[in-house]
Amino acid sequence: MTTGTPATNGTGTEQGAVFDLGYQPHDGPRLGRRGAFLATVRDGVRRILGIRRKARKKLMPWLLFAIAMLPVIAVVGLSFFTDVLLDAQVGNDNPFAGHPQLFTLTSSVFLIFTALAGPELLIPDRVEGVLSVYASRPMRITDYIGARATALAIAAGGFLVVPQLVMYVGLATLDDDGWFSGLVSNIGDVPKILFASLFYLLAYGAPAFLVGMFAKRLGPAWGVYLAVMLLSTAFAVAISEATSGVGRYAALAALSINPDIVMDWIFDRSTFREGITSAGFGPLWSVGVIVGLGLVSWFVGLRKYRSLL
Amino acid sequence: MTSAAEAPLIATRQLGHAYGEIVALHHLDFTVPPGRIGLVGANGAGKSTLIKVLLGILDPTEGEARVLGIDVAADPIGVRAHVGYMPEESCLPLAQTAADFTVYAAELAGIPTRAARQRASDVLTLVGLHEERFRYLGEFSTGMKQRAMLAQAIVHDPQLVFLDEPTAGLDPEGREEMLALIGRLGGFGINVLVSSHVLTDIEATCDWVIMLDGGRVLRTGPLTGITGSDSVDVELIDGADRVVAALRAKGAEVELRGKLLRIRADDDAFDLIRDVLAETGTGMRRLSQSARTLEDIFLEDGSR
Repeated sequence: MTTGTPATNGTGTEQGAVFDLGYQPHDGPRLGRRGAFLATVRDGVRRILGIRRKARKKLMPWLLFAIAMLPVIAVVGLSFFTDVLLDAQVGNDNPFAGHPQLFTLTSSVFLIFTALAGPELLIPDRVEGVLSVYASRPMRITDYIGARATALAIAAGGFLVVPQLVMYVGLATLDDDGWFSGLVSNIGDVPKILFASLFYLLAYGAPAFLVGMFAKRLGPAWGVYLAVMLLSTAFAVAISEATSGVGRYAALAALSINPDIVMDWIFDRSTFREGITSAGFGPLWSVGVIVGLGLVSWFVGLRKYRSLL
Repeated sequence: MTSAAEAPLIATRQLGHAYGEIVALHHLDFTVPPGRIGLVGANGAGKSTLIKVLLGILDPTEGEARVLGIDVAADPIGVRAHVGYMPEESCLPLAQTAADFTVYAAELAGIPTRAARQRASDVLTLVGLHEERFRYLGEFSTGMKQRAMLAQAIVHDPQLVFLDEPTAGLDPEGREEMLALIGRLGGFGINVLVSSHVLTDIEATCDWVIMLDGGRVLRTGPLTGITGSDSVDVELIDGADRVVAALRAKGAEVELRGKLLRIRADDDAFDLIRDVLAETGTGMRRLSQSARTLEDIFLEDGSR
């Protein structure tokens, strides 16, 4: 629709034209549920990382990411110093830290990251009434919950995987036979990194998602999540050590220990973990607990949002 | 299935919804044509519930509803692909800019990103937020928020948009501007269902009305048909008593309000008034068909 009257200078000579383009109907393609899902994922990632938000929204996620990168920079830097400058031939067996140690070092920063990310994804939509907009779009509840979970997986997964991959590539450049050889000779570490990250993501992300589904404000949600994750471990260890028989199963409620045990298993390490290991549970028990936690979070989300979307 | 173009805009048959024991909608039966539809009723009449049922957010507990020819209960996603919704309460993410949120609202309806950006820019201009589009929604005034909510409701070019109390909280100037915007939507090929308890808003913008009271349809039909009247108003210069007596003697019903007479007659009231004024030698200032407001009708029907 194009309307408007061309302006003239009064002598009939056309000087120019101002057109009110008005409202244009959309004749192009519509991507349906797939488009809505992808848009929700993209919005979720941006929201977690504070992209296209005010500076204070960007501060914490990027600061935490920088902190998570510090051990990598230290390890690669020290290896470079030792290997190249001191010519000490560090080789493939890095004496400073490997991928499992990096997981251990970054896990506490990752805990804070998920404490911020899970509630940030869900609470504003619910409290600010944005769910009404989703409810008027071609989306199902599973699309919304699935898209938010995918956004968390991308942002939080990246938080875990990127430092590991930077270390993998960084150490490969110091390989005696060249960087490409270093990449190839340690390629087996990549699937281990991805699997271990997946279990950390589920173990830390699912409770964060659960808290985000019920809390009404971000601050209390962060506090509740951190309290649950830290105190559950302390209580689980204490109860399992104080009791015997059925009571030892309490050890499995040590939410922040389970992914450490699975990570040790994936990297074929045997590390004594207080509580779960001492109660005699193998890594498959921890896998079961983590997967169960993910399923509980998914189904609680569907039930909770059935009345909202 | 009938095509969307041929079908009535909305049709319900014995539609009901209950929140547990509380019945919010009772056996609603109505059909409305394309255009600008007013949904009026007091607070708690069931307006918002009806809109949520028509959007597929709430399931009907009985009966059925069809929007744009699509059965809402059977295919809510199909309905939502063609409609927009401006809720009564705020639906704006306060940490996002108006531009970003409007683009996102378009993408949620399946519009590709590039087209969504263009449409968001156009629609924000249309609702008068072009200058403020890069401001955060949390910094907006109530009037600007209402405009942003309208923008998200129409950015994806819906065939029908549901506006739930679109003038709530606006000052008189903002209200007039919002009503003008709603009035323009029809020209863009967008059908509108406006829910409001402010009856003058509906009179100003709509051409068809659904009146709800206590979850029941009180009346539905074209606005002109509903507000039309079979009485005639006459404003006299003087001699009202003589005219009233003469009219009553000829069988007319007359209501006297100062110098204003409201007359209802079995035959042509205009002819009767002309004759009586001539007989009594009375002068008049104004003669017109009586017009009832929606408020008059609502009070009359609601009190029955």
